[in-house]
Amino acid sequence: MNENIQKKKFLTVFKRPSSTEGVWSWITTVDHKRIGIMYGYAAFFFLLFGGLEALLLRIQLAKPDNDFLSAAEYNAMFTMHGTTMVFLVIMPISAAFFNYLLPLQIGARDVAFPRLNALSYWLWIFGGLFLYSTFIFGSAGAPQGGYLAEEIGWLGNAPNGGWFGYQPNAAFKYSPGTAMDYWALGLQILGISSLVSAFNFITTILNMRAKGMRLMRMPVFTWMTFAVAFLLAFSLPIIAIALFFVTFDRQFGTTFFLTEGGGDPVLWQHLFWLFGHPEVYILILPAFGIVSEILPTFSRKPLFGYAAIVFAGFGIAFIGFGVWAHHMFASAISPVAQAGFGISTMVIAVPTGVKIFNWLGTIWGGKISLKTPMLFALGFIAMFVIGGLSGVTHSVVPADTQQTDTYYIVAHFHYVLFGGAMFGIFAGLYYWFPKVWGKMYNETLGKLHFWLMMIGFNLTFGPMHWLGLKGQIRRTWVYAEETNLGFWNLVVTIGAFVIAISIIIFMINWIYSKRKGPDAPMDPWDARTIEWTIPSPTPVWNFSTPPEIESLDDFWHKKYDEDDEGRAVRKEAADQLLVDLEIDGLNPKEHIELPNPSYFPFILASGLPFLGYAIIYKSLALAGLGLLLLLIGGFGWALEPLEEEEIGESLDE
Amino acid sequence: MNDHGYPHEPTGVDTRKLGMWVFLSTEILFFGTLITTYLIFKGRSFDGIRLEEVYDIPFTSVSSFVLLMSSLTMVLAHNAIEKFDQERTNIWLLATALLGAVFLAGQIYEFTEFYHKGFTLTENIYGSTFYVLTGFHGAHVFIGVVLLIILWGVGQRQKGLSLDGGMNLEFIALYWHFVDIVWIVLFTVVYLI
Amino acid sequence: MSQAHKPHPTPKQYVQIAIILGILTAIEVALYYTESIVGVFTDPLLMILAVGKFVIVVGWFMHLRFENKLVNRFFAGGMILALVLFAIVMLERASANFFFS
Repeated sequence: MNENIQKKKFLTVFKRPSSTEGVWSWITTVDHKRIGIMYGYAAFFFLLFGGLEALLLRIQLAKPDNDFLSAAEYNAMFTMHGTTMVFLVIMPISAAFFNYLLPLQIGARDVAFPRLNALSYWLWIFGGLFLYSTFIFGSAGAPQGGYLAEEIGWLGNAPNGGWFGYQPNAAFKYSPGTAMDYWALGLQILGISSLVSAFNFITTILNMRAKGMRLMRMPVFTWMTFAVAFLLAFSLPIIAIALFFVTFDRQFGTTFFLTEGGGDPVLWQHLFWLFGHPEVYILILPAFGIVSEILPTFSRKPLFGYAAIVFAGFGIAFIGFGVWAHHMFASAISPVAQAGFGISTMVIAVPTGVKIFNWLGTIWGGKISLKTPMLFALGFIAMFVIGGLSGVTHSVVPADTQQTDTYYIVAHFHYVLFGGAMFGIFAGLYYWFPKVWGKMYNETLGKLHFWLMMIGFNLTFGPMHWLGLKGQIRRTWVYAEETNLGFWNLVVTIGAFVIAISIIIFMINWIYSKRKGPDAPMDPWDARTIEWTIPSPTPVWNFSTPPEIESLDDFWHKKYDEDDEGRAVRKEAADQLLVDLEIDGLNPKEHIELPNPSYFPFILASGLPFLGYAIIYKSLALAGLGLLLLLIGGFGWALEPLEEEEIGESLDE
Repeated sequence: MNDHGYPHEPTGVDTRKLGMWVFLSTEILFFGTLITTYLIFKGRSFDGIRLEEVYDIPFTSVSSFVLLMSSLTMVLAHNAIEKFDQERTNIWLLATALLGAVFLAGQIYEFTEFYHKGFTLTENIYGSTFYVLTGFHGAHVFIGVVLLIILWGVGQRQKGLSLDGGMNLEFIALYWHFVDIVWIVLFTVVYLI
Repeated sequence: MSQAHKPHPTPKQYVQIAIILGILTAIEVALYYTESIVGVFTDPLLMILAVGKFVIVVGWFMHLRFENKLVNRFFAGGMILALVLFAIVMLERASANFFFS
């Protein structure tokens, strides 16, 4: 390792770890890139689980009155599918992108609070494992006196109250057993993880930018990260309280949401959706950001209306706080509330539309290159618009009363979350693959993935619009023969398997290309933003010399001039610039200090699942263990010094 | 990370202070949800014992005053560290922690009394909301006291706190004052109105 | 944390502020006992006093008055968001009880 890179070392009671190889180095890492990679892989793992859950659901629904899954198992599968995809797939993959890219895009060395960043990751993975441990340790009983008093097999011993946990259905009386406690406590841990990330990213974007990186020169992806961080910061506390109330109701005998004690089930809906609606914008804004980077690059044109896209993004985030009760139109809310929220929901279509038109404006007249990232980005626009259109129909209250709880709604949110967020995410995974791994993925396999996924996706979710309007009810494990819905349900199921095949192709591409793909150059896409000015794969120190930014799309302007008609003309010095950047990038001349690794985020995070188990199993011993880990983690963290003490010779490295 | 090529804090606000203010802004939502729940249920009718039947306003007033004064000692500690007066800093730090602990002791005593009189967590929805709301506040006070003691401990070990230390007095002070202002709202909304 | 600090209040001023806070608290407690005299003004007055104490601690003890605008905006933003969202929830629940109970 270049001798100018020195990890800060100092003597403390607790010596900070120093390994750079092996498992231990991953456990103690505070490097944003490694944290991003860990998020990405773990989230992909959960994608496979969530996808499996979906396939099981679809097999059950492939024909009417099927008995592949029992009702109890079906409930568990759709609950876990939703919870997994939202909290354990899309959010962490977005986190992977934020973590890896944010410092690179603003020209920084790392985030503002590197150890807190590691804490976010460990909290998340422990929370996810805690949630999934329900399959091993959890139990879901049949509701008292319910007709579903059947034997609940292994697959049913999971949270089964829906990802939204409506009360009192998800309360103890109707969801006995421990499974919904795993849900509430697991989500609680996951929430803390994201909340911590949120402060980190807000502070990073504000205070860690490189010289000349004014706010209005930041890439759109960075702006969307900023908006997401605000959404997380202000919505997660609300659900944290709501989940505490649920846990108290289930475990400690309170009745916040139970009418028999004077509680209010609709209050749960308010609190959940006060979080839940901003949550869906949290899920989609990263994809908006990714697509806003990809479209200009593959159209060789600047983003149309940069300022409008930035402000629209914040407009969506802001208005997103004001539409939550549109999830409650069919609950007992007053007509005034219904009218108000219907209007605000319609209003939010406006900034969304602004973005869509800006993206189209970006592509218009551009020199389009249909590489895999671009295919996914274009697919994103098309699919997201379809999802948005069905969304707008929900804002009309009387229409929504018809649509609610049917597959029409399922179609809507899958078009925006899968066709929107996931497509955007795949676009990003292909786009930044060369930067992260230093290899090029296989373009043919990438295109195959795209087309199979497009076909499979539309086969799966397209018919659901019709099925919903025909009356197929969601969250129900069978539908009757007489409904004549069997054929299209079968089509949907086949589509789901096509999606599965396309994901397998993606995995093959990824694994193969990482190992045996051709080496990737520093700037394979002739891109615009500064993460492409450093070598591929990214050196651990990011930038050898801190960049100095002179404009929006600074890198592009260093490579291209504009002629009289506004067309890009490559500068003569551009090729040499790339060569120089790469050489400089690999050989830092100045002394670079990197934040030190630490054990304590891992230790602190490990305490929380034990507290969770302690509450479920009413075990003081486990609670004590959890608290002990929290205290050790906390004290150790506080007491390991940040600043370098002058030691004299640098220790072995 | 003090790289020379990087502009130091483009916003002009210390990074840790900024992080703490962002965190506190989110805590507004946290306590806001709790207070809203309390207010929603307060207006409804239910059986069982009410808080009004068991509380002791003079006692809670003294408690509130104690917590309020702890904000004063906190600010004096901050003032002392700015003048690099380590001794005074330690005195005021410990005074703050002590006042916080006294407040907590008062809360525990109060709650025990309430329990004896039958106003419990599960008595009715009013009891549930009251204890969860004040309980979370109390937990925050407890964490604050722990942080103050850790800070004092760091000062002892490093032979004096610095303004730039990782365990920064200023941002812990912000947290402490926040805990105080939540109580200002709680005392009025829960006990007095 | 090396930026030039805007002038802090002196310890003496802090004590004066604390005394004001103490007096406000005393008035609050007094209001509780004199409810029969003050009547319908009690609750609004209590709220005003609480807001007053809140603003004093945030502004002077937490130094927000002298702080960068950015930090002020964060805090104000959080407050406004909370007030608006929760006002809507409370109104909705109150009106629902009115319509449906």
